[in-house]
Amino acid sequence: MTRHTLKGLVAAAGLAAAFGGAALADTRVAVIMSDSGSANPFWAAVTKGALDKGAELGIDVAAVAPAGGETDVAGQIAMVEDQIAKGVVGIAIAPADTAALVPVLEQARKRGVHVVFIDKRADMPGTYIGTNNIPAARIGAQHICDNVESGSEVAVLQGIVTSTTGQHRAQGGREGLLDCGLNLVAEQPADWDAGKAQTATENILTANPDLRAIFASNDNMALGAIEALRTAKMLDQVMIVGFDGNPNAAESILKGELAASVAQRPAVMGAMGVEAVLKLVAGEELPDEIDTGAELVTKENAESYR
Amino acid sequence: MAVRSAEEAARRRLRMLEKYGVFGMVLLMAVVLALLQPDVFLSAQNLTNVLRQIAMNALLALGLYVVILTAGIDLSVGSIMALATMLLAMADVAGWPWPVAILVGPAVGVLCGLVNGFGLTVLRLPHPFIMTLGTLYTLRGVTNLVSGGRPVSGVSDTIRFLGSGEIPMPFLGKFGSVPVSAVVLLVCYAGTAYFLNRMSVGRHIFAVGGNPQAARVSGIDVNRILLVVYGMSGFFAGLAGLLMAGRTGAGFPNAGIGAELDAIAAVIIGGASFFGGRGTVLGVFAGVLVMGLLRNGLNLMDVSAFWQQTLIGMIVVGAVFVDVLRRRAGRGP
Repeated sequence: MTRHTLKGLVAAAGLAAAFGGAALADTRVAVIMSDSGSANPFWAAVTKGALDKGAELGIDVAAVAPAGGETDVAGQIAMVEDQIAKGVVGIAIAPADTAALVPVLEQARKRGVHVVFIDKRADMPGTYIGTNNIPAARIGAQHICDNVESGSEVAVLQGIVTSTTGQHRAQGGREGLLDCGLNLVAEQPADWDAGKAQTATENILTANPDLRAIFASNDNMALGAIEALRTAKMLDQVMIVGFDGNPNAAESILKGELAASVAQRPAVMGAMGVEAVLKLVAGEELPDEIDTGAELVTKENAESYR
Repeated sequence: MAVRSAEEAARRRLRMLEKYGVFGMVLLMAVVLALLQPDVFLSAQNLTNVLRQIAMNALLALGLYVVILTAGIDLSVGSIMALATMLLAMADVAGWPWPVAILVGPAVGVLCGLVNGFGLTVLRLPHPFIMTLGTLYTLRGVTNLVSGGRPVSGVSDTIRFLGSGEIPMPFLGKFGSVPVSAVVLLVCYAGTAYFLNRMSVGRHIFAVGGNPQAARVSGIDVNRILLVVYGMSGFFAGLAGLLMAGRTGAGFPNAGIGAELDAIAAVIIGGASFFGGRGTVLGVFAGVLVMGLLRNGLNLMDVSAFWQQTLIGMIVVGAVFVDVLRRRAGRGP
């Protein structure tokens, strides 16, 4: 017996004790996504995170998605049924529709199969694992705090402020900038739109020629702001931080135009989905919401976001 | 003489293959799945799951079969299903009494189907592909317009009975039951078979598909038949919408996207001819089962859903190739 398998056995024995002696080899968890990894890098990372966690714990994890992607609601419902028939202990799901998946997921719970939500919640109770946008936006704001002098003039570009995501990112950005003693001179909505962000930035610059930094609530708006700065020849004076970690934002970071972006952590989401199911199996209580945290994308790690 | 009888035998074998091939395929798939997944596939829970999952495609395919019998096509069934589901859910949530609300789905279906028929017979559009492609887009758009692109949840249990009701079967285990939707399918398939084979309008549908000119000359009102056929296709799509609302407890704008292609594939795999006039109700059901078993089996084996698309495409081509062989053999030397 190699040392490796021995270590695995010891770990498995420890976990088996933790899960009340349930046979781990038979433990099967399904991660049901709304789009497949080969179609979308976000879900590819979720898949990898979930499978790696399964390998680490020595349990059987299946990460699957319906053929028709996010619009294939009937396909996803069938997948839930088929996974229940296969005897999974729990399902971590990103529902393709917030309403239509509810009956089959209630059916799952009735049969003793645990259900948690990843990325998006269905209209029913249960633990949701996703990115909490307030602390995530604070990470971006903190990067500005670390790089400009205290008391400098800064601004926030907001997304659509009637959406929860828009509100939370704007709130996290504003709080982060104010907490470290910066002078927040403007907060303007630009509706996630690059063109609107460009116009808004032009106006902010006209009113505040000493501006030092902008936190934009998404990468589209950040790139719009950069165009405004380029025209005004102020790229060297004002630093921009975006949100999403999109490939075009990573390009801009590597070019030295965009300072940073805040990215979600889909691999962590996949791993946490598997862990949350196992905790429910072990009888633990889970909070209503679990934050996967966020990661700052800078010149050092932007290559992996391209 | 010997050569001729050998050709005769080959022809007979092809005819057998065409007629019963799809049933053999269902059987083969079931055996393979039972061997690969012995603990799961044959469980009562999984087999009844297959019934639950095929219900919508089975109804859409039945409607399309009747249309394809006339050498027509109906691309709008997925969109009709979405609109029916949505309006039905909205009517129910708005508090309409259930005997009225439950009729909304099928009624919307029939109405949309008649609009398709109207485009063919009165507007005289050149091919049903055009008219039903138009309604595929239009009805999807209308579904999004009336709902604002958002799902409507909270459909009442009474309305949901046909789509999500279960008939308890204690001998099938703790949660053992057969879905009510399977009974709906049985009634629809038996009813359609009776209608097509025993009633004069039904037999006229075969006649129109076989040779529309001859049908017209022999006094069949072809336009009336077309209205009946597209109305039926709409009706079954509306009924599928009712089952969908039951299964999901909601009306949602993305219901039935791409469902028309699944239904067409099932009809073709089931042995109906695109040139009209040929095929059986039982064959269509077998075609639906082939697709349902494929999806179920690949899910059970955790095979990527993309294989499902790949394999269905190959099966469609294979099924039609058998038809081509038969025709070639039938023409003789």
